[in-house]
Amino acid sequence: MPEAVGEPAIAPFGDAALLVTFGDRADPRVTAQAGAVARLLEERRSLLPALGRAVPAHATVLVPFDPLNLDARAAADLVRDAVRAMTGTSAPDAAGDAIEIPVHYGGPDGPDLEEVAERHGMSPADVVELHAGARYRVLFLGFAPGFAYLGGLPDAIATPRRPSPRERVPAGSVGIAGEQTGVYPLSMPGGWNLIGRTDAVLFDPQRAEPALLRPGAPVRFVPAR
Amino acid sequence: MILDVVDGGLLTTIQDAGRPDWTHLGVPAGGPADPWSLAVANLLAGNDAADAALELTVVGPRLVAREGGVIGIGGADLGARLVGGRRLEAGRSHRIAAGEELAFDGVDDSRRGRPLRGARAYVALVGGVDVPGVLGSRSTCLAGGFGGLDGRPLRAGDQVRSGPSDARRPATDELVWPMEDDAIDEGTRAAPVRLRALPGPAAGLDSITGATWRVAAAADRVGVRLEGHDLGSDIGGEALTHGLPWGAVQVPPDGHPIILGPDHQTTGGYRVPAVVISADLPLVGQLRPGDEVRLVATDRDTAVRALRDQRDRLAAGAAALLEAAGWDRLAASAGG
Repeated sequence: MPEAVGEPAIAPFGDAALLVTFGDRADPRVTAQAGAVARLLEERRSLLPALGRAVPAHATVLVPFDPLNLDARAAADLVRDAVRAMTGTSAPDAAGDAIEIPVHYGGPDGPDLEEVAERHGMSPADVVELHAGARYRVLFLGFAPGFAYLGGLPDAIATPRRPSPRERVPAGSVGIAGEQTGVYPLSMPGGWNLIGRTDAVLFDPQRAEPALLRPGAPVRFVPAR
Repeated sequence: MILDVVDGGLLTTIQDAGRPDWTHLGVPAGGPADPWSLAVANLLAGNDAADAALELTVVGPRLVAREGGVIGIGGADLGARLVGGRRLEAGRSHRIAAGEELAFDGVDDSRRGRPLRGARAYVALVGGVDVPGVLGSRSTCLAGGFGGLDGRPLRAGDQVRSGPSDARRPATDELVWPMEDDAIDEGTRAAPVRLRALPGPAAGLDSITGATWRVAAAADRVGVRLEGHDLGSDIGGEALTHGLPWGAVQVPPDGHPIILGPDHQTTGGYRVPAVVISADLPLVGQLRPGDEVRLVATDRDTAVRALRDQRDRLAAGAAALLEAAGWDRLAASAGG
């Protein structure tokens, strides 16, 4: 477990949700704390049906609730309780084998690889080596079904979002935007720099576990050729 | 009942209560843009309030009844009619015979020159719409390409079937929703449409409530963009990505607010200075491009009271329908 990061701020977010804020920047310890609180709230939900599914992010947890069956103050008490219960417990074991994602880097699968390399004054092979050499962790999911925000991108290849988004990014595209890397689970519009593509299915609503990448999981990218 | 789709219309999806339990995996909660009107349509068809029904957008589909039955229509008046025949008013149930063609052309010839109000109508079939459940819901998830009919809007050649066949109540074609209980119908008539809002995590609610806004062309199930003013980069801007509730009013750096709809992304990285209260979300679902909107600051107690009042009105309307249809007596005898 991350060491305690302190009492979160709990504030109403509209009439049917709370926003629980653990900090004001993306710190891996804070993100782990947010994820752990979201998981604990989920475990308690069977006893508290007025609580909705908690959505963790970098430094926050969104906690929806049914305002006709639970007062905002009572909801905040439940959250405070969960945060206290977290103290002293250990983080879910996110070590262990990394989920490996095979990637076809460059070429038509990664149309922006050369531009990213040029920007950082390195060769495309260097970018691939850095990207595939790092170990990542799933911070949280959002943006699209099965889309995982990954922490751990080497600073040397952090690259700003493209000035104008593409209308269609193929499913499985692996991209870089700022200090993030990620995989588009579906064909959709997007502004990330595309450096490769995977055949792995990131999201399948028919699977018992619909999302391949789940919060806390370690991840590696492996060159597929 | 079986309906052959001759024309899919602008955007016709299938919606039930949606998937609020899968938002942690980035799956939009989905569900009806106007939950009140979905409930009205369903109750008129003898269904539960959140059973799967068709959600029509501005210009609805053309549907030919291969097999007849009773439908309930709720929400906006999209000029519903039988081709070559009678008008099909919203807020009523209608018996459709085999071979008849339903049209929702988005215009009303009988009121030439008078614009129609509202953006979305709901068509409920007795017994619901029979499509497989995915992640606990029959709702079409456009972002994920699953749910509903193959995860996409209806198109020509599709078939819409009622079901599951164990309709809870016998079909009656004489039902009329007590319109004095329809808060949403009344709210949609207002110009500008008034949406009550609470403060969000970012500052700037006062700046948003100070202006009359116009609904931009970019108004869909993901969000409704407002224009006519520019809040600038004092109010608009980026934020550390966080979870978002339906009704959150995001302001990107360009200074134009977006009221998030049921298909909004589960997390977002723009500032949120305001949140529309739950009781007024049905009104957001009825906004169409060009409509004038004002956001009005309110407090949480008022918001919860309004939601409770809305639920009570729905229950009262449902009870009136039961009485009118004699369903309560039937149910009692069936259960006895």
